[in-house]
Amino acid sequence: MSEETKKLFEERLGRYQAAIALEPHDRIPIATGSNYFAEVYSGNTKQETIYDPDKWLQAEIKFCQDFPEVDVLRNNRVYGPLYDALNVKTYKLPGRDLPANTQFQFMEQDYMKEDEYDDLINDPPGFMIDILLPRILGELGNRGTGRSYIAMLKAGMAQAMFGGIMRNRGIVLEQQCGMPQPMAGFFLAPFDALADAMRGMTATFLDMFRQPDKVLAACDVLVQEMAHMALSVADPLKRYPIFVPLHKAIFMSPEQFDMFYWPSFKKVMEIIIDSGYNVRAYLEGDWGKHWHHMRELPKGRVLCDIDSQGDIHQAKKDLGGFQCIAGGVQDSMLILGTTDQVREHVRELCQTVGKGGGYIVSAGCSFPYDAKPENFRAMIDAVMEYGWHDKSIKAKPKAAPPVRTPEGLNPRRVMTPWDVKKTELGQIMGDENLIKKNWEQLETMAHTFMWQWTL
Amino acid sequence: MGDLAQALANLEEKKVYQLIDQKITEGANPLDIIQECNDGMVRVGELFSEQKYFISQLIYSAEILKQVMKKLDPLLSGIQADSAGGGKIIIGTVKGDIHDIGKNIVITLLKGSGFDVIDLGVDVPTEKFVESVKESGAKVLGLSALLNFTYPVMKEVVDAINAAGLRDKVKIIIGGTPINEQVREYAGADYYAKDAVAGVNICKEIYA
Repeated sequence: MSEETKKLFEERLGRYQAAIALEPHDRIPIATGSNYFAEVYSGNTKQETIYDPDKWLQAEIKFCQDFPEVDVLRNNRVYGPLYDALNVKTYKLPGRDLPANTQFQFMEQDYMKEDEYDDLINDPPGFMIDILLPRILGELGNRGTGRSYIAMLKAGMAQAMFGGIMRNRGIVLEQQCGMPQPMAGFFLAPFDALADAMRGMTATFLDMFRQPDKVLAACDVLVQEMAHMALSVADPLKRYPIFVPLHKAIFMSPEQFDMFYWPSFKKVMEIIIDSGYNVRAYLEGDWGKHWHHMRELPKGRVLCDIDSQGDIHQAKKDLGGFQCIAGGVQDSMLILGTTDQVREHVRELCQTVGKGGGYIVSAGCSFPYDAKPENFRAMIDAVMEYGWHDKSIKAKPKAAPPVRTPEGLNPRRVMTPWDVKKTELGQIMGDENLIKKNWEQLETMAHTFMWQWTL
Repeated sequence: MGDLAQALANLEEKKVYQLIDQKITEGANPLDIIQECNDGMVRVGELFSEQKYFISQLIYSAEILKQVMKKLDPLLSGIQADSAGGGKIIIGTVKGDIHDIGKNIVITLLKGSGFDVIDLGVDVPTEKFVESVKESGAKVLGLSALLNFTYPVMKEVVDAINAAGLRDKVKIIIGGTPINEQVREYAGADYYAKDAVAGVNICKEIYA
């Protein structure tokens, strides 16, 4: 990596990290988490982005060259071949089930039935592999067939391939473009894990009225699973926050949120923060009645993306000094507005919400696919004109905090713990630790793989 | 408001079922029972407008109503449903978008207010909206979406209604998460509904 690129990378990362931490930095970062605009800017179809890693990367390199003011690029977590290998029923993919230029869409239904809560609560991994996954992964539906074994084998390999693609992409973007990532690793709020891919929203809401204790117990059990999943795929250097999209909270009353959504979600975030990571949370929809809770977490550790339906000015009032917020640029204005409108809108944001820091320019949790390129440029130019706090400040990337296991995290529940395997092996002739370490690593990877299908 | 309507408005599921069973045993006219349930649903809609209820409560009320209708269905065969009085509303999620939660909530509330709803489902091709307006003679067309790439699709539907010479016969309401006044103007729709209850109120205005 050239000295210049390295400097650029550190400048961008330092600015991003300082904004999140509510520390001094030179200007408002341009740092969305999901930059769908970058994905299509260079002419790729949406199908190409999830099926052709080379085209995907080329498009992003082009974007970095054309918009060098952008501080972090974007995240992506869908790799088409993996979804095909398993026949993942919870997604419709561009080019496969949808026209090549339509974005992927999530399909939820009550895959888990109302009387299956105890199965989940008593044995989460067993519930996943025996009950849920055969229903949401079509290829696992034919249990015990040769085809289902091959499908799992292919999926494991596709997962490893995707890991390689993501690693390579990160290195190229860092070393060639000086571009950091907005986040690495992901989880769901336990209530969302239940209400997305397991029970679906409608059924979970009915359960909330009809069997509230079961819903609460399930959320409690999912705290550990979500925390382990998040930590196992996070950035080992702890440079980037861990991502959580928050889906169902906006449909709940404040009382329901306080009882069913927040306590387990907060526990997962506390574990992640204790482990030395920050969180980047998409507060999807209008979170105005809920976001004050983010003040309960340590200051400057949860970057809150305010959606287009939320009031960014109110968010600043409620969260300013507690957590950094991102957002403010209206999606509809980027798509339909004029450059003058965008420029004026962003100027106003910089001079109000941006004042005093703790603010990142973005649209509602993303830059939309259909933003007009000239509007995107107008937004950037406005930040470069009005978004400066203090040009003399050069925020440096933070050193990773020391590794430690947080208090709230229990050992991971797995199908075949080492003790079981050890008993099966009987007398171990050589170095037990060598065998154990690798056994546990693979077991962990397999469970992370399994739990990712809750997303 | 009757006991039944009140129980439904309060989301007292078991009590609603008890009252229904009791009324059925007493030989009450099923259409009167439905009317009382509709009163309860209207109250639910009002509580939603007042931000005392949220989507979760709307979904629960719709579920209770669904169970009630299951109980009443056997009694309704042979009785001419009193739908002739209700204005016709066509509604669907536009092409490319497969989300239906918002649309279904609007439908429940519309039915509760006595409208005759023609639900075209999700991912509805533009031509299907046009055909439906032509065939049904409905005065209201509702377009729903969750995803913001649907702006041009909404415009396409409005343009197609224009091209078919139907524009002065139907009012077009658009609604859904990414919709605002700017989108309404762009698409050329008549109204944008900021939530389900607002949508129902616009329909009432149009048919008033």
